[in-house]
Amino acid sequence: MTAQEVRLCGLLLQEHFGEVVEKVGTHLLKSGAQNLRAIVHETGVALDLVKKSLCVLVQHGACVFSSRRKGAGSPTEYLTSYDRILRILRYPRYIYTGKTLYGDTGELIIEELLQRGHMTMSSIVKTVADRLTQNMEEGCSMDYNEVSSAFSKLVETHFLQRCPPQKTQASDNSTTTTPSDPVSTTQSTPESFPDCYKVPHVTLVGRGKRPHPGEDGEDQRNAKRPKLDPETHGDEGIYWQVNFERFHLHFRDQAIVSAVANKLDQTSSEIVRTMLRMSEVMTSPTATCTKPLSANEIFRALPPSYNIARPILDQYLTLLVDDPMEFVGKAGDSGGGMFVVNLHRALANLARATIESVVQERFGSRSARIFRLLLRKRHLEQKQVEDFAMIPAKEAKDMLYTLLSQNLVQLQEVPKTPDFAPSRTFYLYTVNQLPTVRMLLQNCYKTVANLIERRLFETKESKRLLEKSQRIEAILASLQASGAEPEQLTEVEEMITATEKQQLDSLRLHINKLDSAENQVDETIFLLESYVNSTATS
Amino acid sequence: MILWEQTRAAFLCLRRAQGRGRSILRNPETRADDSCFLFLKSEVMAGHGRRTLSFNVDSVGINRGDSFPPSLQQPTPLFPVMEQKPLPLAAGEEAEYLLALKQEFRGAMRSLPSFIQPAAKHRDVERYSDKYHSSEQSERLVIWTPDWKRFPRELGIHMRKPPRDGVSVSVSHSTKVQSSQKKKTVKEKKEVLLKLESLEKKEEQQSSEEEGEEKKKQEEEEAEGEEEYDEEEFEEETDYIMSYFDNGEEFGGDSDDNMDEAIY
Repeated sequence: MTAQEVRLCGLLLQEHFGEVVEKVGTHLLKSGAQNLRAIVHETGVALDLVKKSLCVLVQHGACVFSSRRKGAGSPTEYLTSYDRILRILRYPRYIYTGKTLYGDTGELIIEELLQRGHMTMSSIVKTVADRLTQNMEEGCSMDYNEVSSAFSKLVETHFLQRCPPQKTQASDNSTTTTPSDPVSTTQSTPESFPDCYKVPHVTLVGRGKRPHPGEDGEDQRNAKRPKLDPETHGDEGIYWQVNFERFHLHFRDQAIVSAVANKLDQTSSEIVRTMLRMSEVMTSPTATCTKPLSANEIFRALPPSYNIARPILDQYLTLLVDDPMEFVGKAGDSGGGMFVVNLHRALANLARATIESVVQERFGSRSARIFRLLLRKRHLEQKQVEDFAMIPAKEAKDMLYTLLSQNLVQLQEVPKTPDFAPSRTFYLYTVNQLPTVRMLLQNCYKTVANLIERRLFETKESKRLLEKSQRIEAILASLQASGAEPEQLTEVEEMITATEKQQLDSLRLHINKLDSAENQVDETIFLLESYVNSTATS
Repeated sequence: MILWEQTRAAFLCLRRAQGRGRSILRNPETRADDSCFLFLKSEVMAGHGRRTLSFNVDSVGINRGDSFPPSLQQPTPLFPVMEQKPLPLAAGEEAEYLLALKQEFRGAMRSLPSFIQPAAKHRDVERYSDKYHSSEQSERLVIWTPDWKRFPRELGIHMRKPPRDGVSVSVSHSTKVQSSQKKKTVKEKKEVLLKLESLEKKEEQQSSEEEGEEKKKQEEEEAEGEEEYDEEEFEEETDYIMSYFDNGEEFGGDSDDNMDEAIY
């Protein structure tokens, strides 16, 4: 964990859970596993606030706790995971994916779950149905069953999963478990539980309720605490969370498909999409490539709307196999040829393309030429670089040294004699992809943290203006609700002067830009992270 | 002798430079700094009758006549000039929707109970704007009832049960304190009344008694005074303890009722 990651985590926590949680969270990130007493002592935050913060962190899965790490009877220790906190950055994308796959219902289910950390199925279904009903026209309402079925689909496709069952207090205190395996019991993944993707039988009948205008606040409060309802639905104690890994697999597949579409054409991307969809269930998340599929199978699985004839499919497959990006590989000749999608190879190539474009955008296309040359030829001497890149020696040296000083290019010394005398040593320039990607990843974290910082600064600078516009909007809304004269409305509107309006507009523009920049940097972060993770498993 | 010392020092320098030889080439900036060592080396070598540089300076891109690039003595600027303009952000429906989702999500998180506010700072003076800020804060007092089975026991055990009407714990606490204070004042009034009555009685007794024996009376008075004093103290003590126990019972009863539930 680096300083950049801690800084970004702190900012994300502050934005989503407030300053107190930020303080506790960053302290935990910096210091590793700690018990409650130590946290209270070292952060200087009041005990009950620390407890609340820990509850929030545990609720959102950003913090795990375990006791008996140092033997029986030792206090419970808390440990935050920075990668889980960094997921907050990707929340909009998860929600958006929920929408593209399962419509508004899917979107709201994912959104509610992300907002609350984990929930029971019945409470999600109720809340989502209520929210959908509110947005529908008068007289319509959302049936619980519809939401339930969308929920079940999300679980079937593994986008949602059960929270792993917690060690209950009783087993915590029991002395029957041997103290030799305390770590293994707490570090288990949700996947290791057999019921992980099993939807419980829930008895939920009814429709989403619309809050009555008169008792607005009352009804909303009821909607927000469904667990207090006296009735039970048969799924108490079964909590669900978003399965980020599954989303990441989906993003990875999307990235591969869109890369193929950009590199070759739409049709070949549809073929790759079909291949990925076919092997979705069979391939393990960490596999380097999909299960081999024969050309026949692929042909049968292609949706008829694409209108791809068999010979054309064969041609496309050969084309895909021959492509230097190596998205698709040939695993055998039986059954008209067996084909796989090289998942990890594809990620590596996408990451490489990302670095190349970073070099190109920051140092110009001629530096990028040198960079690509080094990537292809692995090790080159300075003279060779100048010659192969066909760039005048002086400029080439300048670019090479700039890349070297930015750590995008490394220098490898190969001494002819053991004394490393410079005159008898080869100096070979090379590009190490993995360390470079790691460095870029850190730069990305820094970028996002800077973007957030800037956004907070901009908002702080014009806090007064924002508050004023909010208040005026509220007044306008209430006036419109009470059916006020148009003159009154314009009068209230004019409380914001033209210059103020201009300032507000430019502020909104800036903040929107900063926010979208965060989203788009996160796409790069995702690609680089997946590549780094894939090298760890393969 | 002095000359010898100097040569020795120069040699030590040289050894260091050779030790760093590996890093000299790695960074163009340090390369410039270290250029002096190269010259030093050539001079020292001259003393030994060999006038060769250990490597060709040309190979790093510096010709014979060229001066070395100036060495950097300060940290790189905080906001370096951008040589290349960045590309515009990707626009489109998806990007806009993601942006809207992001902003909406951030807004929604602020009104959730998981957004924890630090304890309100003690304000020096009451301000006119305070009432607007307090309205902002009251919005986020939404109830959150976690399933305490999923949390470590130490986090949940001291959580007080919230009042039923859903006001924040701190507010309810202050009202409790206020009510106990009220009780106290009522009790005090009663005590005062009782005391006055008893004093009246005593006075009557005293008046009915003979007015001789002043010493005795004085002693009695003193004793009475002490008695009074004792009584007062005792009563105050019990009062304090009783109110203390009152509160304790309330808390205890609540947590017994509903140990595994807490609401922010």
